[in-house]
Amino acid sequence: MTRTVGIVLVSHSAELAAGLRELLLQVGGGSLAVEVAGGTGEGGIGTSYDLVRAAIEKADGGAGVVVLPDLGSSVLTARAVLDDHPVPDAVIVDAPFVEGAMAAAVIAATGADLATAVAAAEEARDVRKL
Amino acid sequence: MSVSSETAVVLPAHLHARPAGQVVQAAARFQAEVEIEYAGKVANARGVLAVMALGATAGTTVTLRATGPDAAEALDAVAAVLTAAR
Repeated sequence: MTRTVGIVLVSHSAELAAGLRELLLQVGGGSLAVEVAGGTGEGGIGTSYDLVRAAIEKADGGAGVVVLPDLGSSVLTARAVLDDHPVPDAVIVDAPFVEGAMAAAVIAATGADLATAVAAAEEARDVRKL
Repeated sequence: MSVSSETAVVLPAHLHARPAGQVVQAAARFQAEVEIEYAGKVANARGVLAVMALGATAGTTVTLRATGPDAAEALDAVAAVLTAAR
């Protein structure tokens, strides 16, 4: 099987990103490439340019990378990293953090391509929970 | 050739996150489009959020509908996952 689309979770909190990763692996299966960039490099609340850059590099197995930021400066940091170090198939997706990551990860686990994973994450904006 | 197929499954467990993920994995192996209907709501079986949002609970019946060249096989695969859910 070829590599699946990689997922990068960019969060202000290391615990939030790690917890979501754990959930994605439970639902999507162990073959997923989910990398986290949570908190500052010192373990505080915030985002780290270096952690985001490293996570995108690790997640990039050749099938593309979906980058999901949680809020605010996660978006800015992810953009800054990709502006400085362009990765051709890395896409920052505008989607709810948990739902978008879940939708992208589960479909990526089936071997879907980058466009399909991005579309699944974006659709999460419109899927009602109740 | 496009074939349509339909079946009903009584859920042995709630259709929560993990089985919903397994439904997507099963449905994605086939060309056919598979839909799950529950209480008037319809979800594409490849959309994990929509499948979860059905809110289908243990003991209730969902209707599966598949359309495509391998509709019967796709239906069997998704039904098998739902029947085996714990």
